[in-house]
Amino acid sequence: MRTLGLIHRGTPEPPHDLWPRLRARLREEDDVVRVPVPALGWREEAALAVVLGTVAVVPDPLGFLAASGIL
Amino acid sequence: MLRRRELLAYLIGAGVAGTLLVGPYALRVVVGAVFLPGRAVPVVPIVLLPMLWGLWNLLWARRHPRLSIGAWGAVLGCAAASGVNGYLWAAGVWFRAAALLLVFLPVLYWLLWRLVVGPLNEALGVEGERG
Repeated sequence: MRTLGLIHRGTPEPPHDLWPRLRARLREEDDVVRVPVPALGWREEAALAVVLGTVAVVPDPLGFLAASGIL
Repeated sequence: MLRRRELLAYLIGAGVAGTLLVGPYALRVVVGAVFLPGRAVPVVPIVLLPMLWGLWNLLWARRHPRLSIGAWGAVLGCAAASGVNGYLWAAGVWFRAAALLLVFLPVLYWLLWRLVVGPLNEALGVEGERG
């Protein structure tokens, strides 16, 4: 009994609430991500014009967009 | 063997394409009901898009092609446009304007891969070994 008592005294109390530990760990590992979106230049503007222009000139925009998988 | 950044590349591609599927699955119902009630619109197997985009981005991460990420996306757009035209033809619902997809989809995919997929790849470390 004395040995058991010594073991009990030498063992730290187990943490009852693990959420604070988990949250702290997630905070440590969660760094900020910066998405480097390129600046819009003439090529992007031209591409956008082609996309919008095509939708504008086709006789059936809805069917066209549906066929393209956009709509 | 699949590397971590390759799996991440797949998830980025599939995630972006899966997000874009909101258009076909939600907007089509609304737009069709409002503007063209009762009219059938061509249905293509767009459900495959996330897998295609994911695999294409995985290939990008694995092979390091000499193309820019936008051009890589445009190649996929070209293949998708050809596939859609073939599908519409086989289903007997091909229409003349569908040929314009061969220009429309590569340009649109170039934009999306350049402005969305490429930056996400860079931000999440898929491009890590490219320098």
